[in-house]
Amino acid sequence: MESNQNLRYVDTTPAPRVSKKTINKMVWRSCQLQAAFNYERMQSAGWLWAMLPGLQEIHTNKEDLATSMTHNMDFINTHPFAVTFVMGIVLSMEQLKTDPQTIRSVRISVAAPLGGIGDALFWYTLVPITAGLTANMAIDGSMMGPILYFIVLFGCEMALRYGLLYWSYNLGMKAVSMMTEYAQEFTHAASILGVFVVGALIANYGGGTQLGIVIENGESPIVIQNYLNMILPCLLPLLLTLLMYFLIKKKGWTPVKCIGLILVIGIVGAIFGIWAGGYTPLVPVPWTVA
Amino acid sequence: MNVIEIVLLAIVTFIFAIDQFSLTEIMYRPIVACPIIGLILGDVQTGLVIGGTYELMMIGNMPVGGAQPPNAVLGSIVAMIFAVKADMDINAALGACMIFATFGQYVVTLTFTVMSGLMAKADKAAAEANPKGITAVLNTSMLILGSLFAVIAIIAYVGGVAMSGALQSLSENASWFMGGLSAAGGMMRFVGFAILLKIMLANDMWGYLLAGFVVALVIGNIDALASATLLLVAFLGVFLALNDFRMSGMNKKIEEGGMSDGI
Repeated sequence: MESNQNLRYVDTTPAPRVSKKTINKMVWRSCQLQAAFNYERMQSAGWLWAMLPGLQEIHTNKEDLATSMTHNMDFINTHPFAVTFVMGIVLSMEQLKTDPQTIRSVRISVAAPLGGIGDALFWYTLVPITAGLTANMAIDGSMMGPILYFIVLFGCEMALRYGLLYWSYNLGMKAVSMMTEYAQEFTHAASILGVFVVGALIANYGGGTQLGIVIENGESPIVIQNYLNMILPCLLPLLLTLLMYFLIKKKGWTPVKCIGLILVIGIVGAIFGIWAGGYTPLVPVPWTVA
Repeated sequence: MNVIEIVLLAIVTFIFAIDQFSLTEIMYRPIVACPIIGLILGDVQTGLVIGGTYELMMIGNMPVGGAQPPNAVLGSIVAMIFAVKADMDINAALGACMIFATFGQYVVTLTFTVMSGLMAKADKAAAEANPKGITAVLNTSMLILGSLFAVIAIIAYVGGVAMSGALQSLSENASWFMGGLSAAGGMMRFVGFAILLKIMLANDMWGYLLAGFVVALVIGNIDALASATLLLVAFLGVFLALNDFRMSGMNKKIEEGGMSDGI
């Protein structure tokens, strides 16, 4: 974990095309993307588990498999059905033994925006329409309601998983083999994209971290978070990310140690009613919690 | 009270709890889950009605973007238990189940926090190129989530409506703890970001990190664009990356071409 700074594959000969059987296995395994979901790295363990059949076929020596598995444990959060699109791209890059640094950047950059597209198509469009059509059948006492609901949604889900994986794998093979001549330049460009997207994630995913202190003041209560927002919106998420970066990079902290620190910050803060969340602080404090 | 019912109920609850995040991600939805629970409790008809009603309630209350709405799995199960076993009418059952649904949300928050600790095990398995270790992490995680849910379903079955009051006061007394846990849960992703940056962030890239942050803030605060924020950011990022690629590609060509161009 400490020495994964400049991971490189020992064997850089492109592997043969991953077999159809293995790809189909990855389609089914992609269903377990969120089986070990957690707040630190979200879908990473499930992602790695889904990628494993392909990775094991591509990286025949143990050292490269370890390298690949290590960088595939990075933070990832994307749409649970559309994830196979990211898997296909990454699989093609692994097969062509692209620099792991490039794979990391491309993976987070493709995964992050896909979440929003997938949610819009599935949760906000297909599910409400299907539910609207079948819920009344169920309320009228027909078993066809739930059965149709399951068939339509599960059918679309699996078709999406299957189609996207094959499509993006072929797409990735074409795109990545064009890049090999300029591998080093491509790595730098991909890192720029990756860092840019992570910067956006801090603001986009971090907004929930807010101070909850509200001081009673008659008509216009004083909300401390509003003052922070005047300095910089999402200031706390930015500072906390930089603190974690500092602790990991400069002080050599392990992620577990960081998680422990955050648990303490969160719970001690809630004892005194500092964080937002609409709870009752353990200690009576002269302010209310938003 | 019926032991076979309790066992079957615990088993399907275990499966639905896992299904809400993996497996099919469809089976746990009230419209499918409630008739199945109805089958176990001996009243499919009530299951269909509660399932259809609950499903319509859930439109617009989706598990999107890491937010945890009151938990639909425990909501469905407990509403069914109250309607069939306690003979409550359907709307009353749907109302009374909500404290359990809120509790289900606590359990999910707790599990997602605890599972962060398991990532160290997964990292170790990865470093040793040990695929079985990753499988073990996934199984442990599903076992914890499924078991916690199954226990709450059994409590609802055995304790009945009387449990609602007890849960209510427990959730009021422990609200600071859950508040702290979800505040911490919201912050843990910053560790994930930091791990990514540890690798990606070369010294010449700090500006890009801040630029991405700024662009996401700006777009995210424009109502008409907010839901497409990350896609728009990615488009802009692709532009920056292509530009960088072109520039460095040109530099390389110039270096290879030697000084003949008079540069």
